[in-house]
Amino acid sequence: MWLFALPALLINICIILVPAVLTFTAAFFIWDGVGTPMWAGLANFQNMAADPVFWSALTNNFIWTAIFLTVPVCLALVMAAALLMAPKARIVVQSIIFLPRIIAVAVTGRIFQGMIFSPATGIVAWLNEHGFSISDPLADPDRSLYAVAAVDIWHWWGFLAVVFLSAMRQISVDQIEAARLDGAGFFALFRYVLIPGIRPTLTLMLILTVIWSFQVFEFIFIVTRGGPAYGSEVLATFAYRHAFFEGDVGQAAAAACVMSLFGLCATAVYLWLQITDDAQST
Amino acid sequence: MTMTRRQLVASIPAAALAAGLPRSAYSQDGRKVVTFWFGQANSDGQAALRNDLVEAFNTSQDKYLLQLEVKGAAVNNLLKVALVAGNGPDIVQTAGPAYLTAIANAGQVLPLDDFAEKYKWKDRFLAPLLNTSVYGGKLYALPRDYESMHLFYNKELFKQNGWKLPTNRQEMEEVADAALAKGIIPFGAGNADWKGVNEWLMTVFFNNVAGPDNVRKALAGELPWTAPPFVEAVELSKAWYNKGYFGKNYFSLTIEQSFLQVVNAKAAMAFSGTWSFGTKSYGMSKPDTVMDVMPTPTLGSAFSGSLVHLACGATLSIAKTSQNAEGAAAVFEFMLTRKFYETMNRDWPGKWALPVKDLPPDMLQGIGYPLFEKTIANLHEAFSKGQYGFTTWTFWPGATNSYLIEGIEQVWLNKITADAYLTRMQTLFAQEAKDGKVPPLPPRTA
Repeated sequence: MWLFALPALLINICIILVPAVLTFTAAFFIWDGVGTPMWAGLANFQNMAADPVFWSALTNNFIWTAIFLTVPVCLALVMAAALLMAPKARIVVQSIIFLPRIIAVAVTGRIFQGMIFSPATGIVAWLNEHGFSISDPLADPDRSLYAVAAVDIWHWWGFLAVVFLSAMRQISVDQIEAARLDGAGFFALFRYVLIPGIRPTLTLMLILTVIWSFQVFEFIFIVTRGGPAYGSEVLATFAYRHAFFEGDVGQAAAAACVMSLFGLCATAVYLWLQITDDAQST
Repeated sequence: MTMTRRQLVASIPAAALAAGLPRSAYSQDGRKVVTFWFGQANSDGQAALRNDLVEAFNTSQDKYLLQLEVKGAAVNNLLKVALVAGNGPDIVQTAGPAYLTAIANAGQVLPLDDFAEKYKWKDRFLAPLLNTSVYGGKLYALPRDYESMHLFYNKELFKQNGWKLPTNRQEMEEVADAALAKGIIPFGAGNADWKGVNEWLMTVFFNNVAGPDNVRKALAGELPWTAPPFVEAVELSKAWYNKGYFGKNYFSLTIEQSFLQVVNAKAAMAFSGTWSFGTKSYGMSKPDTVMDVMPTPTLGSAFSGSLVHLACGATLSIAKTSQNAEGAAAVFEFMLTRKFYETMNRDWPGKWALPVKDLPPDMLQGIGYPLFEKTIANLHEAFSKGQYGFTTWTFWPGATNSYLIEGIEQVWLNKITADAYLTRMQTLFAQEAKDGKVPPLPPRTA
């Protein structure tokens, strides 16, 4: 059996384990990325803890997680349930809502930045010309994180809806019909049949959302680069800035460790839930 | 010949190993290959690189073959990784002395002193620029160009409104207020696509408010960044931002959009660099009937008149692992030829203005770009005489410079005070100075 697992194991060791161990090790060194690393003990973690930008970045990661655990999940669940009830519209609507997912992140980011939010060339500019006083949310440090989150939600929720729909389609039709015969309306069906029916998928997606939320980087880097005034800075942009602009790889590695810590916690919760489920089903 | 599955599997690691080996140092015609990674280049720039550098060099001799790859904006990151892996190009181009410092300190590039001796580079380059690449008494790079911040302005707009060209802060603010009163943005500025615009502005504020002597002292560790002249500089930048001198959409506009505001008379002026001449999309033309340019006037009491800011936009070194250091040096020597200087500056103005003594900028006369010719001539004279300020991207060490760019947004948006900003900058600078990360300062006089 080990022989079968060997290719995958080797790839994982080379591509995931070795860089992960090196990153973890780098967190305890002062290193500019080209010179000789110097042992620093916990200094990188201490410096990071003393940096207010780290804490605001961490807070932004929590806000991002909260947003993505609720807004796109709710939208996707409702859409998936609606599509389950309306099979004729399924193909067309699924194609439309899935479309943002296949557009490159850089393109999506630039579309929102230049064609929607921009006060010079976007819809915001058009609205301003027609009497609405709207400012670019990406230019406001208190709103920029939410504006980028809106872009990512647009990109993400359709995919989530398609995943939830395919899970809902695994639910027994008899169960749904029985609920209907018992007089269950859309929301009762949703609450008591569909959601419990897709619980494993929903749990997995929520756990993955937590992991991905602590790794979020592309949209923020492309659209705001963590700004303005660190308003949309998250741990990944914090780490990137330290590694590539400040020549402080050790500090970047320390931030990466914190990101991984939250991912590990989410994974541990998922494994615990799986074990609990297995125990209950046996 | 057919291959068994086992042979195929066995060939994969071999192929991977081969891919990791250094590329052949010889071309098919037996010439030694010189590799060179370039950063960002627009279509004009790529054509100029291809024609004026690569093809011109390759046809000028038959010993070396120059191979240039345009790597894009991430070239600095790619380069660091490649150098550490011992697999970088022969010619190492960095984005200036601030980037070179770490690479030179790590010994990833060769000292050029022997080549400098052979080709007499030390006598041919302007000392202030050449000295930005001297570490521990050894020369590690040649400056590829000189740059400076300048005040670009719409001369038609000034003429129509009867505005006088400002020579000090008061006159500058009078013009800015007059522009605002007419619904014209005083300074076209935007950092939506490049946060480095913040440091362009702060280079002007630090030098033109606090004065170049104070900036030099601070960079030498003789004056803290928390000193009153720098507080005044930061406070002035904040006051101008809050007055709307940079428009309402600083964080939303791209560099191109903001510069076009000036060309299209929606803004009066712009603080921008000499690289603007080589960017067609900025909307300037040659000869230009709308735009004009001047060195930035004083914005404080530290000095009178105007000031240019010493900047080296890129450095050229030879990788420690280069198999063809002689060839790389031959490319550098080719860049010093009169023909290369003329064609490159004609085709891509401002990008490759080599700061050399024996190729004076009067050679540019006749390329049909009077503003560029005038600006380079002024720069050459100012740098030769030692009259200049210091750009942040050339003289500030990495972490301090990164904070200068990011932190100033917090000041402008009232998240922190000017004092807090400068205190943090001083802390970072002191640490980097202690670690030997501050790029070398040029001598006081040329």
